[in-house]
Amino acid sequence: MAEINKKSLEHLADLARLELHEKESDKFLKDLSEILGHFKELETLNTDGVQPMTGGTELRNILREDEILDDRLGPDNVVDSFPEKEGRHLKVPPVF
Amino acid sequence: MTHLHDLTIKKFHEGLLKKEFSAFDITKEFFDYIESKDKEIGAYLNLAKDQALKQAELADIAVAKNEPVSPLAGVPMAIKDNILIEGLPATAASKILENYTAAYDAAVIAKLKSAGAVFLGKTNLDEFAMGSSTENSAFKKTRNPRDLERVPGGSSGGSAAAVAANMAVASLGSDTGGSIRQPASFCGVVGLKPTYGAVSRHGLMAMASSLDQIGPFTKTVEDAAILFRAIAGQDRHDATSAAPPAGKYGEELLSPKLEDIQKMTVGVPSEYFIEGLSPEVSRAVDDAMNALKSLKIQFKPISLPHTKYALSCYYIIMPAEVSANLARFDGIRYSEIGGRKKAKNLLDLYKKTRSQGFGAEVKRRIILGTFVLSSGYYDAYYSKAQKVRRLIKQDFDSAFKEVDVILTPVAPTPPFKFGEKIDDPLAMYLSDIFTIPVNLAGLPAISIPARKEGLPVGFQLIGKPWRESDILGIGQYYEKIFNF
Repeated sequence: MAEINKKSLEHLADLARLELHEKESDKFLKDLSEILGHFKELETLNTDGVQPMTGGTELRNILREDEILDDRLGPDNVVDSFPEKEGRHLKVPPVF
Repeated sequence: MTHLHDLTIKKFHEGLLKKEFSAFDITKEFFDYIESKDKEIGAYLNLAKDQALKQAELADIAVAKNEPVSPLAGVPMAIKDNILIEGLPATAASKILENYTAAYDAAVIAKLKSAGAVFLGKTNLDEFAMGSSTENSAFKKTRNPRDLERVPGGSSGGSAAAVAANMAVASLGSDTGGSIRQPASFCGVVGLKPTYGAVSRHGLMAMASSLDQIGPFTKTVEDAAILFRAIAGQDRHDATSAAPPAGKYGEELLSPKLEDIQKMTVGVPSEYFIEGLSPEVSRAVDDAMNALKSLKIQFKPISLPHTKYALSCYYIIMPAEVSANLARFDGIRYSEIGGRKKAKNLLDLYKKTRSQGFGAEVKRRIILGTFVLSSGYYDAYYSKAQKVRRLIKQDFDSAFKEVDVILTPVAPTPPFKFGEKIDDPLAMYLSDIFTIPVNLAGLPAISIPARKEGLPVGFQLIGKPWRESDILGIGQYYEKIFNF
C-alpha cells in the first residue's frame, strides 16, 4: 500500500483536472493519509481466489436495438439547457 | 378541516376521493406553510409553485369527473435536487450546476407525473449526494426539524426534513451508502432503499453507479410501500434496472398477511452491535425487537463476518466511480460559472471551472478515486475492494439461507450537532457503517422510527433481493402496534 505526498497529490489533482490551493492541499494530504491508513485493514484479509464483484448487478448482456426510445430528450431541450447559445448554436469559450 | 400535519399518502387519497378537500387547496396550503416554516428548516432549494398548482388542478378535474385516479394523484411531494424534473433547476447542491435547468424528466418523475403526483420543489442535499449531514451543500444549511441545533443527516437531508417538518406528504431521495436510511433515522421518518435495479436511475445524477438507488421518504411504512410500488420497474433507459423475479411488485407490498409475517425469522448480526454503538440507539433497537417479538416473529443470532471491512471497501469503490462519473462536469456543458471566460486553453478551462465549482468533499473523493484507479495502485485498492465486496455479498447470501430478514441499527448515534464531524472526513464516514454493506450487496433495506420521544433513532430491516415485501410487511405490522 502507498502513501500520498505533496508531489503525488499534485499529479493526482492534475489527472482529475483540479487545481488545489495551498491550504486545500495541506488538508487533503492529512485527510487522505488518514483514509488510506484505514484501508490498511484490507491487507490482513485473504482474498485469494475470490471473484471480484465488478458491479451492482449480476445481470449479463442487457442488449437492445440502437434506436430512439422516445422524444423526451428532444434537441430543443438540450439546446435550452446549454449555458450559452446563439439561436440554435451552442456557444463555447475560444479555447479549442 | 384536514390538517397538513396529519396527512399521509393514504389519508390524502381518501380525503381527495371523499371530496373533503381539493388537491389545489391543499397544495396552496403547503406552499403557505413552507413559506414560513422553511425559513427555520431550510429543506428546499427551490419551489415549483406554478407547475405544482397546475398538476394539482389536473388531479381535481379527474376526481370531479369520477375518473379512476392513482393513490398518488394530487399528493404534494418533494424531490431531492439530484433528480431531474424537466424545466426545473437541478443543482445537486453544487455551484457547478447553479444555473442548470433539467432538460428531461427522470424515469421516476415521468412515472409519478403520470400517476398525478404534485412536485412542490427540490430539496437540499450534500453536494452530489456526498456526505452524511447535508452540511456539504454549496447553498444552505438544513436543520433537523426535531432539534434545530442538529443535522438532519445526509445526503438526502432536505427530503427527510421536508417530510419530518410536514412540508411535504412524502419525498424522494437517493441512497448510495445510506443517504436515505440515515437521514430517515435522524429525522424520525420512514426511508426505503430498494433492491439495486428495482428503480430506474435514469435522470438521477450518477454518483456511484453500481450503488445508487432512488427511494421514498414517508411518514408511514404503508406509504413507503405505495410510493415504492409506483416508482419501481424495469426501464429501457437504465440497463441495470430489472423486474423482480415474479414479474412485477403486486398487492403483497400493500396488504401483508400476519400469518406470513409470523412465519419469518429475523437475523440479528453480532457485528452490528459493537462498542461504538450509542446506548440510546442500542436501547431503541432493543425496544423495536421486543415489539416485533410480541408479534410472535422468531429471532436468531447470525454472523456477517466481513462487516468490518465494508467501510474501506466502500470508500475505495465509491470514489472510483465518482471520479469517473463527475468527469462530465467540464465547464463547457450544463452550467456557466465564473472563470470560464478567462481560461487560456481547454485544460485551463477544465481546471478553473472544476476547482471553483466543486466543494471540498467532492474534490476529496475525486482525488481519492483517481488514486485508487491509477496505474500501480489498481490491484492493491480497487481490485482488492471488488473482491471484498464479493465476500460481503456472500456473507448476506449465507445468512439469508437461515433467516428471511436482518435487523440492525441504522446509524451508530442519534443525530449529531452541526460542525461536529465536518472537518474530520473519517469520523463522518463512520456514521454510515451500518448502511454501507447493504449497498455493496445490492439489497433492499428500510429505516423505521424506533421511538417517538427524544432525539429520533431508527432501526433497519434488510431483506433478500427483490423481497421488499418482507421488510415492508414486518414494518407495516410494527407500525400498527407502535402507532406512529
